[in-house]
Amino acid sequence: MPGTNLIVPVVLWGKHAPTHCISSVYLSRDQKTLVTGCYDGQICLWQVNPDSLKMTPRCLLVGHTAPVTCLSRASIVQDNNFIVSSSEAGEMCTWDLVDGKCRESVKLTQVHTNIQAYHMCNSEDLRLFCNGYYAEILIMDPFSLEILFSLSSKMNPDWISALHVLRPSSRRDDVVLAISITGTVKVWSLLGHENKQSEPIYENESKQIRCLNALSLNCCAYNQRTVLIVCAKYCQIYDAGDFSVLCSIQAPSGERWMSGDFLAPDRVLVWSTEGKGYLYKLPANSVPDHKGFHGPTVEHDSPVLYGILAHPDNKLLSCPPAMRFILTSVGGKQRRLLLRGDSAGVVLLWNVDDAAMPVPNKVMSRAPIVTTSLEMAWAEMNPSPVGILDQLSHPDEPEIKLTASIYLLAANRLVVGREDGSIVIVNATHTVQLQLLHGSHQQLDDWPPHQLLLGHNGRVNCLLYPHHVHQRYDKSHLVSGGIDFAVCLWDLFSGALLHRFCVHAGEITQLIVPPHNCSPRIQKCICAVASDHSVTLLSLTERKCVTLASRHLFPVVTIKWRPADDFMVVGCSDGTVYVWQMETGHLDRVLHGMIAEEVLAACDETIADELGGSLSTGTDLQGIANPAVHFFRGLRHRNLTAMRAATQRGLAALHASERGSSAGPLAEPARARPPPLTIQGFRSNPADPESHILFFDIEGLIVELLSEEYSAMSPASLEAAGLITSEYMKVAALTQSASPDAAKKISGILAKMKEGAENMQTKIQAKAEQIKNQLDSKVVTAVHSIKTWDRSHESHHPHKGIRITPNSVEIYEQPNDFLIYKNMNHAHAHRKSKRSDVNDEERLQILADHLRELWDKLQRDWQFY
Amino acid sequence: MNDNEKEEASNLKEEFEWVLREEVHAILHQLHTVLVECAHRFPVPLYGNEGQKQDKFILTSQPEQLKCIVTLTGDSITHADISFKVLRQMHTTCKTSINQDGPWKLQQIQDAANHLQQAIGYIDNVDKNYVFRSSEEVLHIIQCLIGSLQRARTALVLPKKKAIDELMKSRNMKALSPNLPEDLAISFYLQSHKLIFVAYHLSSNHGTMRIDSCQADCAVPWLSDVLFMLTAALHMCQQLKDKLCVFSQYKDFTVGSRSASTILN
Repeated sequence: MPGTNLIVPVVLWGKHAPTHCISSVYLSRDQKTLVTGCYDGQICLWQVNPDSLKMTPRCLLVGHTAPVTCLSRASIVQDNNFIVSSSEAGEMCTWDLVDGKCRESVKLTQVHTNIQAYHMCNSEDLRLFCNGYYAEILIMDPFSLEILFSLSSKMNPDWISALHVLRPSSRRDDVVLAISITGTVKVWSLLGHENKQSEPIYENESKQIRCLNALSLNCCAYNQRTVLIVCAKYCQIYDAGDFSVLCSIQAPSGERWMSGDFLAPDRVLVWSTEGKGYLYKLPANSVPDHKGFHGPTVEHDSPVLYGILAHPDNKLLSCPPAMRFILTSVGGKQRRLLLRGDSAGVVLLWNVDDAAMPVPNKVMSRAPIVTTSLEMAWAEMNPSPVGILDQLSHPDEPEIKLTASIYLLAANRLVVGREDGSIVIVNATHTVQLQLLHGSHQQLDDWPPHQLLLGHNGRVNCLLYPHHVHQRYDKSHLVSGGIDFAVCLWDLFSGALLHRFCVHAGEITQLIVPPHNCSPRIQKCICAVASDHSVTLLSLTERKCVTLASRHLFPVVTIKWRPADDFMVVGCSDGTVYVWQMETGHLDRVLHGMIAEEVLAACDETIADELGGSLSTGTDLQGIANPAVHFFRGLRHRNLTAMRAATQRGLAALHASERGSSAGPLAEPARARPPPLTIQGFRSNPADPESHILFFDIEGLIVELLSEEYSAMSPASLEAAGLITSEYMKVAALTQSASPDAAKKISGILAKMKEGAENMQTKIQAKAEQIKNQLDSKVVTAVHSIKTWDRSHESHHPHKGIRITPNSVEIYEQPNDFLIYKNMNHAHAHRKSKRSDVNDEERLQILADHLRELWDKLQRDWQFY
Repeated sequence: MNDNEKEEASNLKEEFEWVLREEVHAILHQLHTVLVECAHRFPVPLYGNEGQKQDKFILTSQPEQLKCIVTLTGDSITHADISFKVLRQMHTTCKTSINQDGPWKLQQIQDAANHLQQAIGYIDNVDKNYVFRSSEEVLHIIQCLIGSLQRARTALVLPKKKAIDELMKSRNMKALSPNLPEDLAISFYLQSHKLIFVAYHLSSNHGTMRIDSCQADCAVPWLSDVLFMLTAALHMCQQLKDKLCVFSQYKDFTVGSRSASTILN
């Protein structure tokens, strides 16, 4: 939700940690931040205590759509808080580790498999040396994510499978050492003035060696004379001078090597797909300082295994773990660590120096010094992280996982589908209140009341409330799709199952609403997608399937529409596009390759045209309309709420106009007021139960609170507070000049409101207790979230949450500050917000003060009653 | 849970174990055969396929706008005689050629071959006697396979778009003899089963650059075989994936867990 509003996200994670199948790991040099990327595309930030190395998950960065393959630092500055990530889909992002925002993002056609951050001579900061599924080496800027220049090959150009950049001790230029997948070793020397415009940069030397599909290449940092090249089946030490093999180490049986590095001129660490680190002492002919260097292999002098870094609990892994050798320095002390993140989301850390001294004839096995995982972090929490429907689970029964959810804005209701096939409908504020706030309501049984829809046999996969998307749909219709192949149509108000569509031959995975300009018959339909790769249009009024599109061989990835031609365009995961006639269910054509791409793109264009059209007319209307009319309209729709807001804005405008500013702000009250609370389901992996993100719009919340404050006040107290007389007059003055008509209407409505309020006064007395509860909850929730949000800005702050009750403030351990940012697309918005003169923090402070004031005032008012 | 459901669950588990024990290996073996066969169609050294194959193609467009005789050796055009009429200057014919010293490399072929090689590698990494213990393990391999095959196919089917100045600067263009005038450019690329030749003519029209192009294509027989086999392999992967996903609703299934979990149920 980009824009000027301050939105505070609070995540209710539930009892289960999100799946985190780690695909890449990174530990910052100051040992303060651990970063893990996973196969589902999320990146988890962990706060690390540099001394104890205790790791606490802090933040989940959402943005990549494919496995995160590379993570790299972005700057040479030790405490610089930026990292660069790259995914298998070619997306690259630069993240701010402090607030979790995405500073820059780009999508390249080249996909990287490896990135080395390196400080070149003649450059101010780091450059990223990337290699991957392309024949060049790309050098990129970590902050702008631009390709600065590339290195090409003359001899046997092919993909580069590994590279290492270094500066030879005797020289002032940088040397890039790389090996292609067909085994050609290449050397480039860089002087630091290369740029995109320069002629292609070709290698200075190249040599073919017998080494296919190398995985890593590392030059010994201590003597720069030997090179370690790791392939899946063996790793070899080469003489950097002439690239001849000095010695070779076979992978243990049943394991494959992944990568390795030098620990000392005569010692190497290599790690395998089983997630174990092996420490070897090299034979004399592979050690440059030794007199037998580069000599023939002597019998009985082969690499000696002297240590193993293993995990005693060898649990089954579903894929090879991500591992990284890390050199850190804390307080001038160097530390060498081997880091591993595996498919179960477990992070292990070995101290390599523990096993640094070879003991003759003995293989030492070392256990990791740190073992942690999201699951463990979850288990440590007491009380465990709250879920949005915790009141429904009983401690002695197995928990029913939440699998789908939607939030009905107008009714303030949360609809949640569960694993057992039931759908729960509950008042959103009440259930949130129950999870986040202490109070007497927590002692009540069966509170808040909920509605239960039973009809699915097995997991509910998706929910849709069509009326939200477009008003043409019936207000009472709710649609759900389940694992039982059925799409159910419900009456939201009565809870009755109106119809069960059994058309698909696979579990329902998605429910979509067709665009509004389809033919009248299709307009009454919703679109369902199932795991048997079929798509249907189901008519909610006719209660039958209009079109069954089921010829797709591959999973459906996108559905686009060409309403004018009555076409539904279905894109599959293999790139094929199927064009269906919606009314007749006739398969118009099947497209492949370029044409398929073009047809999909063309659908977007028509939509963009329509959107552009409607947007421009929208703005035109706004431009023409009289601000006072807007004001009046706002008043009519939102009664005193908008009046208060409008008064304030109007006053501001009055003051502003004195300074010669335009009357722009007047139009604002008419703008759709942002909902104070929206709830969105979130999951990192399709198999996970859902977590929920609560978005609190602080401005919306304040407006809501003010309105409730008003409706609770008697006319007398309104007068006493001087709100009606003084501010009303100003409002009247404000509107009179623009539209005398409107002013009359306004005063009419005001009189009515006053009357209504007087009637209300008697009722208020009776309801006082109840309203108080509600008000408490709202203020407290807001303050709570502000605190939570605030703390996310202070990364070194202890891992604490704050719970506020009407009478006390207590601090407790909770994971809600493990925040989520959906930022990939918001990089732009972020940049924009930076330019605004009041920054978020200040704003937050102002709003918090405002809320506190309000809170005090409310308490005084309650004493008055 | 009633007896019928119990029986169904235990049957499903038995079936699941069978899929992991027998079916996965069988399908991987089939896939391997298809992919190796596919690799052998490639004209470059790939997975035991030695030597560079050579093909000759003639590309022409009606009416006699351009003509091009191409020798494709491995992943490069090693020889070509190119002549085309410059657009809107019908009487000037431009002639150039590619020769052995500066071959025109079709990076798409190398990319596809490398992706295919990677895919075969994933299957080779699985020991024939390995016993799979969970569907996640298999799904991970299948996902990697699908990724590689998809990329291999995309490399051939969807040529990467290049900016015209990038093309002008490319090594391929510079290797033409004789060199083309500044306002002309040519390009070779693959799209699906076709080799495509395009000639571009740049002209400036009231300050805005205008590009005219004309193209000719011809079918490359081995490409259609390769694409067919890649698609078939992709389909096999997808079917295996779908098969495994059927069991995923009984997520607790792992080999050896059968007796324990039947009690639980």
